Amino acid sequence: MARLILRRLAATVPVLLLVTAGVFALLHLTPGDPVDAMMAESGDATAKASLRRELGLDRPLHEQYAAWMGRLLRGDLGHSIRNGEPVIENVSRRIRPSLQLALLAMLVSLLIAFPVGIVSAVRRNTAVDRAGTSFALFGICMPNFLLALLLIFLFGVTLRWLPISGYTDPLEDPLGGLRSLVLPAVTLGLALAAVITRTLRSSMLEALGEDYVRTARAKGLSEWRVIRGHVLKNAMIPVVTVLGLQLGTLIGGAVITEYVFALPGVGRLVVDAVFARDYPLVQGVILLIALGFILSNLLVDLLYGWIDPRIRYR
Amino acid sequence: MDSMTLSRRAFLELCALAGLTPGLAAAADPPKKGGTLRVAFYIEAATMDPHLSGSKVDRQVYHNIYEPLVTLDAGLNIKPGLAESWQQPDPKTLVFKLRRGVKFHDGTDFDAAAAKFNFDRMKTEPKSIRKGEVANIDSVDVVDSHTIKVNLKKPDASLLATLTDRAGMMVSPKVVQERGAELGRNAKGAGTGPFEFVEWVKDDHLLIKRNEAYWNKQGGPYLDRIRYRPIPDDTVKLQSLQGGEIDVIDYVQPRDVAAVKADKNVVVLDVPSLADFAYQLNFARPPFNVKALRQALALSLDLEKIVRGVWLNVGVPANGPIPPTSWAYDKSISYIKRDLAKAKAKLAEGGQPNGFAFTLTTNNIPISVQEAEVIQAQLGEAGISMKIKLVDASTLISDGNAKNFEMISFQWSGRPDPDGNVYQFFKTTPGTSFNWSGISNPALDALLDRTREVSSQAERKKLFSDVTKILQDELPMVFIVHPVEPKAFSPKVQNYDPVPDGMMRFKDVWLK
Amino acid sequence: MLRRAARARLAPFGAAVLLTALLAALAAPLLAPHDPLAQDLGNTLARPSRAHPLGTDNVGRDLLSRVIWGTRVSLLAGFASVAIAALVGSLLGIVAGYSGGRTDGLVMRAMDAVLSFPPLVLALALGAVLGAGLTGVLVALGVVYTPTFARLMRGQVLTIKARDYVDAARALGAPGWRIAWHHVLPNAAAPIVVQASLSVAFAILAEASLSFLGLGIQPPAASWGSMINAGRGYLQQAPWIVFGPGAALFVTVVGLNFVGDAIRDALDPRLRADT
Repeated sequence: MARLILRRLAATVPVLLLVTAGVFALLHLTPGDPVDAMMAESGDATAKASLRRELGLDRPLHEQYAAWMGRLLRGDLGHSIRNGEPVIENVSRRIRPSLQLALLAMLVSLLIAFPVGIVSAVRRNTAVDRAGTSFALFGICMPNFLLALLLIFLFGVTLRWLPISGYTDPLEDPLGGLRSLVLPAVTLGLALAAVITRTLRSSMLEALGEDYVRTARAKGLSEWRVIRGHVLKNAMIPVVTVLGLQLGTLIGGAVITEYVFALPGVGRLVVDAVFARDYPLVQGVILLIALGFILSNLLVDLLYGWIDPRIRYR
Repeated sequence: MDSMTLSRRAFLELCALAGLTPGLAAAADPPKKGGTLRVAFYIEAATMDPHLSGSKVDRQVYHNIYEPLVTLDAGLNIKPGLAESWQQPDPKTLVFKLRRGVKFHDGTDFDAAAAKFNFDRMKTEPKSIRKGEVANIDSVDVVDSHTIKVNLKKPDASLLATLTDRAGMMVSPKVVQERGAELGRNAKGAGTGPFEFVEWVKDDHLLIKRNEAYWNKQGGPYLDRIRYRPIPDDTVKLQSLQGGEIDVIDYVQPRDVAAVKADKNVVVLDVPSLADFAYQLNFARPPFNVKALRQALALSLDLEKIVRGVWLNVGVPANGPIPPTSWAYDKSISYIKRDLAKAKAKLAEGGQPNGFAFTLTTNNIPISVQEAEVIQAQLGEAGISMKIKLVDASTLISDGNAKNFEMISFQWSGRPDPDGNVYQFFKTTPGTSFNWSGISNPALDALLDRTREVSSQAERKKLFSDVTKILQDELPMVFIVHPVEPKAFSPKVQNYDPVPDGMMRFKDVWLK
Repeated sequence: MLRRAARARLAPFGAAVLLTALLAALAAPLLAPHDPLAQDLGNTLARPSRAHPLGTDNVGRDLLSRVIWGTRVSLLAGFASVAIAALVGSLLGIVAGYSGGRTDGLVMRAMDAVLSFPPLVLALALGAVLGAGLTGVLVALGVVYTPTFARLMRGQVLTIKARDYVDAARALGAPGWRIAWHHVLPNAAAPIVVQASLSVAFAILAEASLSFLGLGIQPPAASWGSMINAGRGYLQQAPWIVFGPGAALFVTVVGLNFVGDAIRDALDPRLRADT
């Protein structure tokens, strides 16, 4: 096991290299440059040229990449061009709301998806199943930003139960923090719940059709024990895959939710940085997101082995 | 200096003309001290160092904690700021008498040495973004403890107006020397203004508090604190105001103005701006390398309909780069009126009697898209077919600088002196500049240079009128609208006096 | 009996929705009551009426006509990008899962690299490089969704490979591609179909998100997503702008899911035998 983990960790190095080179190439292929973006209101070519020189943007691309890599190997992700602060500080400030939002959204989604998915599969094609499937459909079909705006309109403006926007750290002010994260977490969690419900339902149906389930039933085990002991565990593989995939997406990709609710998360950071062509910031953040994502994938693979011992790695 | 021709009264008339109400009427009650004003902007500040600042929103905060040498009033007249008075002994020299008894928030004195330090820093600091604005300043001499002499490279009638903003803002030399780059996020003690910096929790809020030792004892500051928050989504920002979470927002989208004005929980103030929103036409590329085709384009547009239908009359049709708020605005020049028959003739003259096709590059923001769609339909009626290419702001600038466009959106926020809306866009400039159209017209160049050399405002106004007429004929840009920038407040907010530069100065504001 | 009847009702409904959408897409010029581009600045944000059953948008265009025309773009964006992703992804997944070893590692690491970009950012950057427009979006979304299919397929292949009948086939000396074709593919198809039917919906929504970020269909043409985006600023004054395309989107995606279910039932012999 430890050797597997080590081997996989070593394997992340080429992935990360691929990612950094990819980001670098993509960024520089995209029209626009950070100095123009930052000095949008200035037509002063001399000042821009001197700032470019100061930032090393006038050097050939391979030199810039090499310089960035060199700093990276010394553990320095560089500084944001727009606000001049170290990339790592920008990220560490933003990661907290993102993580909290992701975890809360997952919690919301699991709380909904497990009961709905299991009941739907077991009571297949009944009214309960149809209600569950309809809910899943609703969650899938509802555009994120529309749902967000509706939630704000209902709970923030009309009922005034919850704050409309902004972020309070739940670790400092648990109640205020939860209140500030509830609407975005529901926005994100509902769509995720829909995906998990569907995946769980379909993989459970598949498992319910397997021979070992018949065998178990034939042995006279209660239906609940059959489901818990045999079906659920086997139905978990696709669910774990989806969850693992979604965790990364939730942290780096909740852009629109973060925008609408004015949450200072990583997704917004990186998209704002792309728009500002803040090269070091984009490179640094994507590298870190990629790292986090790869680690969560590793976790998914390890869970595979635990859930289904038949899967072996050579 | 020449006295300004447009008085406050004239400005009020102008506003009345446009159906605008200036200022939040001060209530009959006397001003009350105390309270926290909660302000939302669409984005947070980038840096607290005015010399390194490139972002417009930074200035909103600066105008409450820093002070420039000279300031603007509502009529765009230049008023004493940290400089009590100024003289121009010759066209290339400006002498400022600095105010005595002014202290930075860190307790150090503001004096001639400090002023010189600031100008030197703007000119020499490698990351300075002010270099271009102070490029014409050759050197600054300390005459005595409270007098500086600014030596110019060539006469520049627009320099004073430039010094009303970041280029004229004075930062404590002690803070700069001791804090260095850290000043970017911590401006404690750095300014002289009515409020002083307290803290900035990035992505969350920026807090400033009343400067108890403010030199100007007339009026405010009344507010205990001002708390700035970024809210990127327009709808949410507005709802936060309506829901009572915020007291002030800097901008209301035209589409929301009518609804917000009907809301009793919100007070809307239409602030005419310095801006001109236009499209640059590329002189180096077909089809707009042909003057007649540029004219055909302009004659096909119905500005009145665009301003009514897209801007919902939150703005006025533009006759040129100079906004109605400026003393240089010439209301005798009409905007270009739609005339399809004339447009047809111009198409024929330009060798394209059956119309032509081209691509518009524009910003991907809702109102720009809407405007592009309306323009597209209007041009279609004249037989001109336009494709729309939506890009983000960075790509727009890069396409503009590289002259990689046929027609491109150009939304200029404007400058207090008309020079800032004119010179850099139309003066022949080799290399990269805001002259994206590539216009190079000797007569226009000569006129533009004259506007800088002449110091009489009446004479300058006449020159700018001549410039506007040439622009309407040559059409390096088609001008669309001078937008109004509505700001919205909670009814608690009293005594806010708007200045057309859009900056929100809260010195005299108080809360009921 | 009951179950069969229930599905018998849902699947035709889904098929009907899809057919309607396809028909709307193909016959848009015949079905739309108005020119979808004809503006009327004197009649913007009009409430639904007999002349404009879904109302008008912010430049006075007929929303019903735009929704009908928008079907083309939205369906194309949804299906084409998922088709690209499912095809490329499944292929990569089979290759990786079946070959194992170094190939597996290589393919999956490449997928990891793609996946580890936040999808919107990847699509944003790709779209910016490929140029604005629908093609850029199709390719960008295709790339974004490919790893999902690859991983899913690989996961299935790993499970199936371990099953007895595959071992049996291998023991009988069947060649690798034959096992893949006859045993692995049919058994792995069901989750791919389910994933695809979900992904089409996501792709249509992702197209909307990309419009929000400046890529996607260029005006004056519209997809449902871009119409919802354009209307979101008017949610308080004129919610019907969002209603038309929102409903079209919702119903189509619901239909897609029913059809996906039906296909899945048909593809999976054991489930059919079970009912």
